[in-house]
Amino acid sequence: MKHAEALVSVRNASKRFGATQALEDVSVDFEVGRVHGLVGENGAGKSTLCKIVLGVHAPDGGSIRLEGSPLRLSSPAEGAALGLVGVAQELSLLPAMSVVDNVVLGTEEHWGPFVSERANRRRVETLIDEHGLEVPLDARAGSLSVADQQKVEILRALGRRSRLVVLDEPTARLASHEAAELLGTVRRLVERGVAVVYISHFLNEVLSVADTVTVMRDGRIVRTGPARLESHASLVEGMTGRHIGEVFPPKPPAPADDAPVVLRVDGLSATGAEFSDVSLQIRAGEILGLAGLVGAGRSEVAHAVYGSLAVASGSVEVCGHRLSGSVDDALANGVSLIPESRRDQGLMARRPVRDNTTLPYLRRFAGRLGIRAGREQEAASEACDDVGVRAESMLTPVAALSGGNQQKVLFARAVLGEPKLLIADEPTRGVDVGSKRAIYEALNRMARSGCAVLLVSSELEEVIGTCHRALVMRRGRIVAEHEGGDMTEASLLAAAFGPGDGTAEGRSQEPEAAAGEPR
Amino acid sequence: MMAQVLPAARRYGIAVVTVALFVLLAATTDGFLSQANFRNILDQQSALLIAASFATITMIAGGFDISAASVFVVAPLFALQVENATGNAGLALVVGVAVGLVVGAANGLVVTALKVNSFIATLATSFMVFGAGFLISDRSVLRASTDAYPAIARTRWWGITTGAWIAAGVVAVAWILLSRTRFGRQVYAVGGNAEAARLAGVHVARVKTIAFALAGTAAGLAGVVSSSRTLSALPSDDFSFVFGVIAAVVVGGTSIAGGEGAVWRTIAGAFFIALMINGFNLHQVDPIWQRVIQGAVILAAVSIDSWTQRRPT
Repeated sequence: MKHAEALVSVRNASKRFGATQALEDVSVDFEVGRVHGLVGENGAGKSTLCKIVLGVHAPDGGSIRLEGSPLRLSSPAEGAALGLVGVAQELSLLPAMSVVDNVVLGTEEHWGPFVSERANRRRVETLIDEHGLEVPLDARAGSLSVADQQKVEILRALGRRSRLVVLDEPTARLASHEAAELLGTVRRLVERGVAVVYISHFLNEVLSVADTVTVMRDGRIVRTGPARLESHASLVEGMTGRHIGEVFPPKPPAPADDAPVVLRVDGLSATGAEFSDVSLQIRAGEILGLAGLVGAGRSEVAHAVYGSLAVASGSVEVCGHRLSGSVDDALANGVSLIPESRRDQGLMARRPVRDNTTLPYLRRFAGRLGIRAGREQEAASEACDDVGVRAESMLTPVAALSGGNQQKVLFARAVLGEPKLLIADEPTRGVDVGSKRAIYEALNRMARSGCAVLLVSSELEEVIGTCHRALVMRRGRIVAEHEGGDMTEASLLAAAFGPGDGTAEGRSQEPEAAAGEPR
Repeated sequence: MMAQVLPAARRYGIAVVTVALFVLLAATTDGFLSQANFRNILDQQSALLIAASFATITMIAGGFDISAASVFVVAPLFALQVENATGNAGLALVVGVAVGLVVGAANGLVVTALKVNSFIATLATSFMVFGAGFLISDRSVLRASTDAYPAIARTRWWGITTGAWIAAGVVAVAWILLSRTRFGRQVYAVGGNAEAARLAGVHVARVKTIAFALAGTAAGLAGVVSSSRTLSALPSDDFSFVFGVIAAVVVGGTSIAGGEGAVWRTIAGAFFIALMINGFNLHQVDPIWQRVIQGAVILAAVSIDSWTQRRPT
């Protein structure tokens, strides 16, 4: 490899958000002409690290240097002016505007107050030629595929003479050939002397595209080293450490063979292509995992069972009673759902803990003059104590709680419903390790009390560590079932990715093919 | 220190400020501390309080309803036509309120079923309703023909007009509905996070529609009470009433983004503005300047609201 100089050096950086230490004593160099892979579990600090470099957050301690001179950014705009840009997971294009307009946004060529369309167009054409990123210039950004939109974002970054480009999960929503194309683009970028930071959960992708890899865990750097010395297994080990036993409490006993079937799903198909012909059963006291990649249709199945997503065909029975497909009916039949995004789907952030906990079950506290406040208060605080919500009072707005405690409020809501079936969709996402354990314990307690649990999770360890049995979904279908000791990361992963047939799900199996020729 | 003061200031600020204004006026202004003056303020505020208490509920549910002005203008025209035709003031009252209910329910359905932005939807229905007012009244002032119609709001019980009593009753109903019932909780949930509310089994569209229907009904009642006070009703396309209503709601601290607020806030906001105007009048401040200052106060209230929202409490 050629000699590389550090463009950006981070030294002993730390950052705290409320009770969470997001970064602790982190030192890393991002070098010109190199792709620097950044891997770690959710909440390991990857995004925080990049946001500090880009000027989104200011570090609490430590220093950052740009080409050796100290760098203190107070806004992302300042970072962008120096050529430090991020391409976020959520794209920030203006969907109604053309590709050209999007690329030059904010830096339009102009003649007095008038925008010079022709000069802008020429500039974008040059960019496209230089970097080999083919996109239709006049198309509206909103009409492009996700991959093309991503290219527009990258063009925008390049158009600003970027020196450091941070790509945060750029392929999460791409099909395999699109992902391969993107990796090619990334290689071309660094050949032009740009430094790239590449964050991805697809480890094989990182291994194939990155020159250097940094592994992070719990806000710290585990190690930084050449990508060629790492393997999938070594990265996983570095990311997770060896504390699996501490995170997962012992599982409740597996349900007896004669335990009653609580949930029976038969031939369920979505109205769209989200999932089709899904059948499954869960017994009382059983925790069933639903594993698979993002977009495999797991959440959709969860919502279909809960009645919040319409289905085309099939049936859902809870304790022998067929559900009508409305949320009301599901709640009345003892089904509770903990949705994937507590912010968007779960909580009213500015309302008190009490209101958030009791919302679906207010009928129980109905009195002649409205809600019986005393009873409601008592029930809410009992449920919150049960799952260990730490809040000043039941009237504290949930926005004032930590992420883990907010998640526990949703569990308290579920506990209050005394469900026969609990559906938990990614219940530990964005939650610290301590709260994770509390959440697993809550799941276990529910199962011990005879509740059937459906756990949708992208974290394989979580499925292995908490579930009695796991189903794997791929492209809207259940493709595998593993039980007890058969549940291993390898078996679940293999099923989730499927055979290496060149489809979207196959790409991590074939890192070389996915990466194209760039190396 | 700030950590405790800020939320508290946000929670009770408008009440404190209103009381402070009261004390200030009492200490400095001749003629303020008289029964006649207070009765007058109460009577003048009755129509606004009736409409604003339920407008608060709509706004908390995430809706923005500007049709209150058109209902306020047109409901009494229908009521007085009925009164003139039948001589039955009770029936007139029912018809006036029903006009509000129909318009409000229509607003709710347009907003939830056709998914039209509520500001635009109620702007459009406002024009239609104003138009209906000109049609039903044949573009002329309508006057009460019986003694019963003026009696709706002008009768005095213990020195207070029935208009003010009606307002007190409506305020109490809105207050209890919002703070003590399931429906009230669902209103907060729908305005705070509609998707979360749906997943918690709340019928989002139903709750919103009911909120709009109730606001329309209240605006209809407000119109009848107002026309009963003034003995007549005039067709117009004057939006000013709803601006007074929204000013009271927003100055009180109910969030225009939805999900947060309270009826007592709106009452405090309404009285803050009323006291301010009363003080101006007693001090003979030029009405034109009154407007300027009133606008500045509303701007300040909304700025404070948006400023406090940027900080997590």
